[in-house]
Amino acid sequence: MTDVTLRARLVRPFQTALPSVLSVALALAVCFLAIVASQGSLWVAARAYAEMAWGGFGDLPKLFAGADASALTRPWGETASKTALLTLTGLSVAVAFSVGLFNIGAQGQMMVGALSAAVLGGKLALPWPLHVAVCLAGAALAGAAYAEIAAALKLERGVHEVISTIMLNWIAVSLVENWLVVGPLRAQASGDNSISGTDEILASAQLPRLLGETSRLHAGILVAAALAVAVWYWLARTRYGFESRAVGLGPEAARAAGIPVAARVYQAMALSGALAGVAGAVLVMGTEHKFPATLGAPYGFDGIAISLIGQNHPLGVLASAALFGALRAGGTRMQLLGVHKSFPELIQGLALLFVAARLVWETLLSRFRREPAASATVEVPRA
Amino acid sequence: MIRRLATVALASGLALTACKKKDETAPPALAMPAKRVVGLVTDVGGRGDQSFNDSALRGLELWAAGARFEGGGYRPSSADELKASLTPELASRQPPIVPLGVAPLVVQSKAQEDYEPNLELLVEQGAELTVGVGFMLENAVEAVARRNPKAKFLLIDSPVLDASGKPICLPNVRTVVFREEEGSFLVGALAGLVSKRRVGFVGGMEIPLIKKFEAGFRAGVASTNPAAAEKLLATYTGSFDNVAAGKQVGQDLMAKGVDVVFQAAGSDGLGVIQAVKEARAEGKDVYVIGVDSDQAHLAPGAVLTSMVKRVDLAVYEAVRDLKAGTLAGGDVARGLKEDGVGLAVVRLDFPGKLEALAKLEALRQRVVSGELHVPSNAAELAAFKAQP
Repeated sequence: MTDVTLRARLVRPFQTALPSVLSVALALAVCFLAIVASQGSLWVAARAYAEMAWGGFGDLPKLFAGADASALTRPWGETASKTALLTLTGLSVAVAFSVGLFNIGAQGQMMVGALSAAVLGGKLALPWPLHVAVCLAGAALAGAAYAEIAAALKLERGVHEVISTIMLNWIAVSLVENWLVVGPLRAQASGDNSISGTDEILASAQLPRLLGETSRLHAGILVAAALAVAVWYWLARTRYGFESRAVGLGPEAARAAGIPVAARVYQAMALSGALAGVAGAVLVMGTEHKFPATLGAPYGFDGIAISLIGQNHPLGVLASAALFGALRAGGTRMQLLGVHKSFPELIQGLALLFVAARLVWETLLSRFRREPAASATVEVPRA
Repeated sequence: MIRRLATVALASGLALTACKKKDETAPPALAMPAKRVVGLVTDVGGRGDQSFNDSALRGLELWAAGARFEGGGYRPSSADELKASLTPELASRQPPIVPLGVAPLVVQSKAQEDYEPNLELLVEQGAELTVGVGFMLENAVEAVARRNPKAKFLLIDSPVLDASGKPICLPNVRTVVFREEEGSFLVGALAGLVSKRRVGFVGGMEIPLIKKFEAGFRAGVASTNPAAAEKLLATYTGSFDNVAAGKQVGQDLMAKGVDVVFQAAGSDGLGVIQAVKEARAEGKDVYVIGVDSDQAHLAPGAVLTSMVKRVDLAVYEAVRDLKAGTLAGGDVARGLKEDGVGLAVVRLDFPGKLEALAKLEALRQRVVSGELHVPSNAAELAAFKAQP
């Protein structure tokens, strides 16, 4: 009996993760062939992948050639800062999935969070650890409040959250990037010089660098990892988390079982928005130190892919964010060989496509399994 | 999952290093290790923007390196290709623009937060000089230059600024700004001569950089057509990446009677050009003036001229100074005198073209000699007295 439980506990996570791992491997292979086709050379493609690995996981050849530790710490810094952002937006999407909502609005929630962090970090004068906490909390509140608009529209008026969150994204872009950041909150330079973004935040609001000045590895990765574990605990080990998942699996059944469905949806959406808001804060407080002219890569939308590839499991999200953070940080180095800048995103897009086609995987895999899979591997978001 | 993939990636990397000797098709960057490497980081506009970034890339790749980027790699360019990219003024410059035998290394940025690691990467790859294209790279260039005092940098369009926005000087950073107002002054003078009804201006974001274009343009119109300067219509789209907004503003201006419009609005400006092109197709007698690069090819027949900003020349000369060992830090401002800005060839015919061009040349001479100071902001414009 215990033997069987033990085996199940060890094997199940692997079985759950297998479709994602295979999807990513297939995506890497297909992208490799695409580079071979576009560059006309197997050698260039192979070197491009090697460069991507060195750029994402640490430049081992350079280290062996006698370089100092920055050959490792600098790539780690870039990977970690991207991983932190992808983890947070991925968690945001995964939490909304848990109650059956498809939150496409992580981008907008991240934007209002980033702006709050930039304003609180620039205008308030507080001592160091407190200032960081205030900025993170302010960003989380702003993101949560922004997500609650979509939740309220859904619950009170029946507006589909996919539509409302997409529209709220555009409202955030217009309000924040196209007005506040170029208008009332724009930093001023002397004379006829131009400067982009808002004022810089104070040093007391910056996330500390953990590996010295040459590496941009900052405390944001710790925030993201801690939140991933916390979200996992909340979903898997608390009553609220259990009830939220029940709502996601079947709101009518949950209501019949006495679960306050509306309250759980509001809570989950608030948490989802707060996580996206913290992502914006980490971008501002970790590397940019201000709200830039345009807010980074579309990490909010990447969060959808990261969440699905991570099987909507908080720790799966952390793992897939770490992988794609590394691939995208290192992927820049493929350009040194003339490979087009878009290939790292292509890998992510392909992996998502293959995960979405998981039925194919499961059919293939079930032939090799002695016993049928205990349950579906992915909780399908219900709208 | 991560460790597995890392292992796979490492293993494949190692396996391929092992078979390196058998392969003959090593990329050009590896084949020419003796050449000095010059790096360039584009802003998010990237390669193929038809204006700013492409101009910088032309200076580095076609002029300084004598190479063309095609199909994911460099091939040597012919002397004719280089010659075809030079205007008459540039072709007659001394010393002449010839390839300098450097190897270009270009990284395009996908997001604001990538500027710093991208610059750092090129320095790490051995670039002796690294070009940051655009004022949005200012923070990143400053940070990387401070960490790498031995590497040299060229920053386009902005001095290095401290946290409070005051210019500072770093010994290993040359910064180049352009006196856009002087080039805008000349296109303004031309607009004043060509316009029969009303002159218009479309800016992108309402920032000091674009205000320089407007001030110079207004002064230029006032110099040749004071009546048109009174009625001049200026509009800002608020962005640099919204073609649709530019088109709308362009149509709006033409509906208000504008027949010559100057755009300094990035991609929004492409929309303005499109609007004018369509109006011409309907038989209206309207013109548009392009910006940054010669944009005549976008709408032949509608683009009167372009206010070119010679980012290419600034990049080329920095590479030449690097080779000569004279590249020092500090700010450089380039106007008409230094060929930093200028007019693209006026290809269209209009009544009185020869007299108009003679008049422009006379104005140009006066700006070059320093006799005429072109205003660069609203305050200077208010004090500016047009002398016909």
